[in-house]
Amino acid sequence: MPRSRVLRRVALRLAGAAFVLWAVATLTFFAIHLVPGDPAQAILGGPGSQASQEALDEVRADYGLDQPLVVQYGAMLGRLVTGDLGDSYALKTPVAELIGGQILGTLALAALALVVAWVLAVGLALWSTSAGRIGRAIAGGLELTAAALPHFWLATVLIAVFSTSLGWLPPVSNDAASGLVLPVITLAVPLAGFLAQLMRERMLEALEQPFAVSAAARGETAAGLRLRHALRHAALPAINLSGWAVGYLISGAVVVETIFARPGLGRTLLRATELRDVPVVVGVVLVVALVYVLMTLATDVVSRFADPRIAREEAPA
Amino acid sequence: MTSRRIFRSLPAVALVAAGAIVLAGCTPADGDAAATGDPVTGGTLVYASGDAEPSCLDPHVGGNYPQALIAGQFLESLVSLDESGEVIPWLATEWTTSEDGLTWDFTLREDVSFTDGTPFDAEAVKANVEHLKDPATQSSTGYLALGKVDTVEVVSDTVARFHLSVPDSALLESLSQPWTAIESPTGIARGMDENCVAPVGTGPFIVDEWIPQDHVSLVRNDDYTTGPADRAHDGAAYLDGITWRFIPDSASRYAALQAGEVDIIDNAQPDTLDQASKSGTLVEIDAPRPGAANRLELNSGQPPFDDIRVREAFIRAADVNDGIDSLFFGTADRSYSVLSSVEQLAYSDDSLFDTDLDEANALLDEAGWTERDSRGIRSKDGVPLTLRFPVSTNQSIPAEQSLFEQVQATAKEAGFDVQLSPVDLSSWYGALAAHEYELVSAPYTKVGPDVLRILYHSDSITPAPSGYFANLAQLDDADLDALLTAAASESDPDERADLYEQAQQIILGGFYALPLYDQQNHFLHSPGLEGVRAMPTVSTPTFADAWLAD
Repeated sequence: MPRSRVLRRVALRLAGAAFVLWAVATLTFFAIHLVPGDPAQAILGGPGSQASQEALDEVRADYGLDQPLVVQYGAMLGRLVTGDLGDSYALKTPVAELIGGQILGTLALAALALVVAWVLAVGLALWSTSAGRIGRAIAGGLELTAAALPHFWLATVLIAVFSTSLGWLPPVSNDAASGLVLPVITLAVPLAGFLAQLMRERMLEALEQPFAVSAAARGETAAGLRLRHALRHAALPAINLSGWAVGYLISGAVVVETIFARPGLGRTLLRATELRDVPVVVGVVLVVALVYVLMTLATDVVSRFADPRIAREEAPA
Repeated sequence: MTSRRIFRSLPAVALVAAGAIVLAGCTPADGDAAATGDPVTGGTLVYASGDAEPSCLDPHVGGNYPQALIAGQFLESLVSLDESGEVIPWLATEWTTSEDGLTWDFTLREDVSFTDGTPFDAEAVKANVEHLKDPATQSSTGYLALGKVDTVEVVSDTVARFHLSVPDSALLESLSQPWTAIESPTGIARGMDENCVAPVGTGPFIVDEWIPQDHVSLVRNDDYTTGPADRAHDGAAYLDGITWRFIPDSASRYAALQAGEVDIIDNAQPDTLDQASKSGTLVEIDAPRPGAANRLELNSGQPPFDDIRVREAFIRAADVNDGIDSLFFGTADRSYSVLSSVEQLAYSDDSLFDTDLDEANALLDEAGWTERDSRGIRSKDGVPLTLRFPVSTNQSIPAEQSLFEQVQATAKEAGFDVQLSPVDLSSWYGALAAHEYELVSAPYTKVGPDVLRILYHSDSITPAPSGYFANLAQLDDADLDALLTAAASESDPDERADLYEQAQQIILGGFYALPLYDQQNHFLHSPGLEGVRAMPTVSTPTFADAWLAD
């Protein structure tokens, strides 16, 4: 592939990413201003504060809240372009610092949940495609149920069973790794349902393809057929889905972090939204969008390895 | 405050334990040890709060209940209240007021230092009042409480003289609240950012570290000598420290307590309390908050509730007793007063709140709301009888939200269309500021009956610049204003009680509010935690005398 072509592709990708980030910042900014609530009150001690007119005026002038919304929006974009996320209204600390202190917990949670979801999904797909019609029906039911489980319900049930009844795991996060188990399972199970569904269907399709038939004719075992040939086909859509899955996991973190009392971006976002702490809301959403964009790029690269045809198709004829 | 141990099957244990806790509250230095074993020194208590994490630990800034809960562990006030509601010494040993009620002299404890080494003296008291009154502090609760204090004069190291603009019968009550607690002037001088993270007081614990969205670490103040006059023991706290966690989900909080991850939880919900009482090992502290009872305010400032007949019809129609019984599992008692039952001057009249659907219908017919649509909703001149009811999901617990649905259902039988809208706190204040409500439930915690002036004096209809106003019933009655103003300056206790009773008669008799129950405030703790009590001021727990037995 000629270099200019590669560069063009990279430039297009970057432009697309920038567009996504701009759109996310814009939508978030206007959405939070559509709902009632006064950011000046977040600055002056939260909603219902009995701040004086002087204090309010001062704050509005200081933060530019007395300017028309479009002007405020422009000022925000100006800041964001230079990489400045601004200061939190409520906590008066830089948003970047705030996010920096919370992001690792959320990313660790999301990454672990993604890994666990993959393990569960691959295991289920491998088993169900070899388990005959009844096995497939059971797997189908499990996948559908898992995918439909709301996080808050699953979290509550897991706590009731594994903490309150059995006493095996702590119900709220603590310094030990055991505190991560229930939050990770809560996030992983519904996602595993989605992924397994996709994989199983693709794997069944692949097993009926001529290459699978000929591999079987060459004496490949049933397990080898699945692991070495069909899995690669089945994994492709699931890999592509993983970019979306990270977004899904981080939005699930809002619920999971609240229930399991874990520090993280989800709780930061929830609290900032309640207070109309605009810089924090925009900052967190932007960071999540950035992670999503990066994940999408990463899944592109990974799917090239999983399926060399993609690169070949893009090469000049 | 009432304390009871949940041991349905072991009443004897319950009696002993309840006795011990009451004794711990009433008799200093002895009593508790005999009943429940000797105090044990050491150990770190884990407290799990369901309240929002404060954005500033200094209760002078803003001033809400979550701040009061934690600040009570490291800050102290000039005065406190005892179990019977009498004002007792704390950092101030005695006080006198001038004939005209405009000057108060507070004599302060000697040889007390803040935990940063700064001496506690009249200069420090002056600095705190100035801090509270400085607009830059952004105080709202403490600022309001000290609204009648002009200046503080340093008479000597140990005498602080308060100069008032008008006599204030609520001054001592105001000063007993954590929102006006005394902080180190050196700490304050560091500026808001630093002081918010670790305010410095004279209390039994010291703020060590705050990991946002996770926990605050408090360590013991080894040099602690103060404490309110009714404190159970002298000297430093038994506990090495407190880990103050924030666990917003009610079920997780309770599960953490059951699993032994935490020792005490606040905001225990009715279903949790019911489960806990059935399981029988945990201890409950039921400490209703002072100030106003939870109640529905009927917005009398605009139609249809500007007509007393419509207000009365609503109260006759809306049945809350069955709902309170079934949804709160017997953990909340119906109130017929706008004041909390812990307020000595609360006036209650249950005869005003009988439900009677026929009477409600007759009143509405009489008031001209005679047409009915296919759903049975009444209207008058083509205007439907709609009651907008914004509900703050941050302030109304799920049981209360369900109760409001029952209000909606029963009021509908008389032809009211109650439109419940659950919203977050910012939207809720937005709806109130825009007067887009006919019904609202708004908690208000304050020590003493002066809360009536804040909630029902016509001055409180005028919104603060932020749009906030406290008189949500929009009650505008010259007689009531006069009574509340007179009561606020009345130094004679009997006269004061009489004025507040007349005022409450006007509020209840005019059907401006539907009282529900005290502002619920239940704590659950493990049986190994001893010596904890709720402060008789704003019902926050104190751990100055607490120890972990296992």
